[in-house]
Amino acid sequence: MAKKSKQAYKQAPWRRQIQSIGLSLLPVVAIAIFIMLYLVISAQAAAAGLEIMNLHFDEEEILRKIANQRTQLALITSFTQMQKRAEKLGYEPASESNIQYIKISGYQGKNAVLIAPPPGIENESALLVNDLYNESLANWFVETFFITSQSSQGDGS
Amino acid sequence: MKKNYLSRINLIGLSFSLASILIVLQMVRIQNSTKHQELSRWADAEYSYAIENYYPERGNIYDRWGRLLAGNEDVYEVGVMLEYVTNPATIAQTLNGVNQLAYQDILAAASKTYDSENSVYAVLTDFLPSGVIDALSQIKQEYEITNPYGRKENLPSLRGVVWNSHLKRSYPENSLASNILGFYSFMDREYGVGYYGVEEYYNDLLAGKPMETFMPRNPYLLEELPTVPAGASLVLTIDREIQAMVEKKLDEAIKEYEAESGTVIIMDPRNGEILAMASQPNVNLNQYWKYEEQFKGTTPFNRAISETYEPGSVFKVLTMAAAFDAGSVDEETIFNDPGRFEYGGSTIYNWNRRGWGKQTMQGCMQNSLNVCLAWVATELGKDDFYDYMQAFGIGRRTNIDLGGEKIWPLSTPDDSDWYPIQLATNSFGQGVAVTPIQLASAVTAVANDGKLMKPHVLKAIIQNGKQYNTTPQVQSIPLKPETAKTITDMLEKSLKEESSLALVPGYNIAGKTGTAEIPVEGVYGIDLTNASFVGWGPAEDPQFLVYVWIEKPKSSPWGSVVAAPVFSSITQELVKYLDIPPAGSEINLLAKES
Repeated sequence: MAKKSKQAYKQAPWRRQIQSIGLSLLPVVAIAIFIMLYLVISAQAAAAGLEIMNLHFDEEEILRKIANQRTQLALITSFTQMQKRAEKLGYEPASESNIQYIKISGYQGKNAVLIAPPPGIENESALLVNDLYNESLANWFVETFFITSQSSQGDGS
Repeated sequence: MKKNYLSRINLIGLSFSLASILIVLQMVRIQNSTKHQELSRWADAEYSYAIENYYPERGNIYDRWGRLLAGNEDVYEVGVMLEYVTNPATIAQTLNGVNQLAYQDILAAASKTYDSENSVYAVLTDFLPSGVIDALSQIKQEYEITNPYGRKENLPSLRGVVWNSHLKRSYPENSLASNILGFYSFMDREYGVGYYGVEEYYNDLLAGKPMETFMPRNPYLLEELPTVPAGASLVLTIDREIQAMVEKKLDEAIKEYEAESGTVIIMDPRNGEILAMASQPNVNLNQYWKYEEQFKGTTPFNRAISETYEPGSVFKVLTMAAAFDAGSVDEETIFNDPGRFEYGGSTIYNWNRRGWGKQTMQGCMQNSLNVCLAWVATELGKDDFYDYMQAFGIGRRTNIDLGGEKIWPLSTPDDSDWYPIQLATNSFGQGVAVTPIQLASAVTAVANDGKLMKPHVLKAIIQNGKQYNTTPQVQSIPLKPETAKTITDMLEKSLKEESSLALVPGYNIAGKTGTAEIPVEGVYGIDLTNASFVGWGPAEDPQFLVYVWIEKPKSSPWGSVVAAPVFSSITQELVKYLDIPPAGSEINLLAKES
């Protein structure tokens, strides 16, 4: 009877084998998962890096195009071209007799050209990255579970 | 029951573990081997980074109203990657004639044997506009459809032809204001530099800082990509419309008076801004390499700042202003002109070799009497005369912000090459040499309450997205304000009384003509002259100063006949551009309404 009851608690050998294999494979699986995650993140980082590179080249090309367009615009609005266009449209230089001067009190004349803002005026460029992506996990946790709950309690009172 | 430790499953586990350990050991061995370290160093050196040269975009140059005078345009370099060329004949046929390329030259370049170390890429041509590249791209694509990868040798293919874009300096106004702008030698892509004018003077600012950097090829390091800021852009004080008008008038005058050359400067005497500066000859800046065809021998690029000459009677303005300011003469002073003046062992004569009798100082200026001015200079005294001339900037650089300024030193009594007769001759602008900008700048003191402002062409710098405006600088204060006003009034009256051709209907103008004889083999004669006129207005509140110099006119030697009408013609247009109403013609709108 005693032998029988002792045998009743003993696991089958195949179970113990499975358990030992499982235990020995656990670190292997963990390492495999770690490697997989590392590869995925690395691949994403590399893709992002390449995208930065492409954006850099795109930026260079766009800057070149802007410079080119600016010059093309200047070419078609050059003095000679504008004069030809004006003559074609029937304009002619104003003579003394058909110019009338009107003095307007306080008018300072044509303003000086301002191609870029003067120093001291800082351009607050709009944030390109959403705030959510700049928030740390700890901040999000505090914001979500503490500050939000406190404010909702406050609203209730 | 005895455990079977060498069961099948244990054997499999053991062999896998052993294999894993061996792989790890092998990895460690390879990682630490000498060969691996050599390979790693080689790979780092060859493939981790590439040396990239960044040339920032050259800054733009604008006129005072923001109109582009010098910019950059996109052009293309076309070349062949020799490894991929399959049909050199097609490349030669397609590009034959483009940018003056010859068939044989292209064929020779495209037929070079590929060598991974010495012969990888060959440049065929450069500076092609985008239109040509669009056409070339289309042809290449069509050939690629009919003959993919250029595999069939009997079919045309442009495999291997590649193009890269880059910026090229461009001058949308061609030759307009070329003497002021100078040029950038854009054909030399690596060592291009600014020559003359603004391009030379502000070369460092315009060029920015080229950068040689290690460009990472490892995508993880790409966040380190450098940013190369563009060169600073410049806003000039030049007004394009006024510049074009002045250049046109000057061209017409040179033709009409059969002159060798000419120069016109328009300044704002209140702040020293150059509104226009025209000089002959000039060059289309987009073809700057033809410069030597236009500027033969020692011809300066910009006569206004680089050519010294004896100015003649326009210089009398400075002599008379100095004498009035020092109190040597005044409006009541009378000079009895005998027609000759003995001084320093030589004799001074008037332009017509006659005496003019009793003359006020205004009469002396109106009739441009050399004898009278020589006397005035002696009354002033040599020390004061040269002190005033130096205060006017004669013999000194104006330090105008243009490349290539030249000066001729002013001989003073302290110099060994100075002789007493020079006091007399210098008083009416002979024996002294100036550049047009020196003279124009000196006279601005008379037009600006005695203050001589530093002449300049730069109005603002645009750097790092900000516009920094320049501040006008006072160079010297040679005259008292009341002296400046007196001389202006005197010269206004004298122009009116002599009915000068320089007069501008409706406007009060002050000014002075000049006719300087040019010595030929040391002998002065009236056959060759420098005819000039300097004038400013409106006399009651001067807003502009115009200096006209016509060099060696053949139709008439006199400044009053040649230069004065050019001044008048230019000023009649100028007042329209500057919105200056004729004296007493203003309608006060508010007064009318009230």
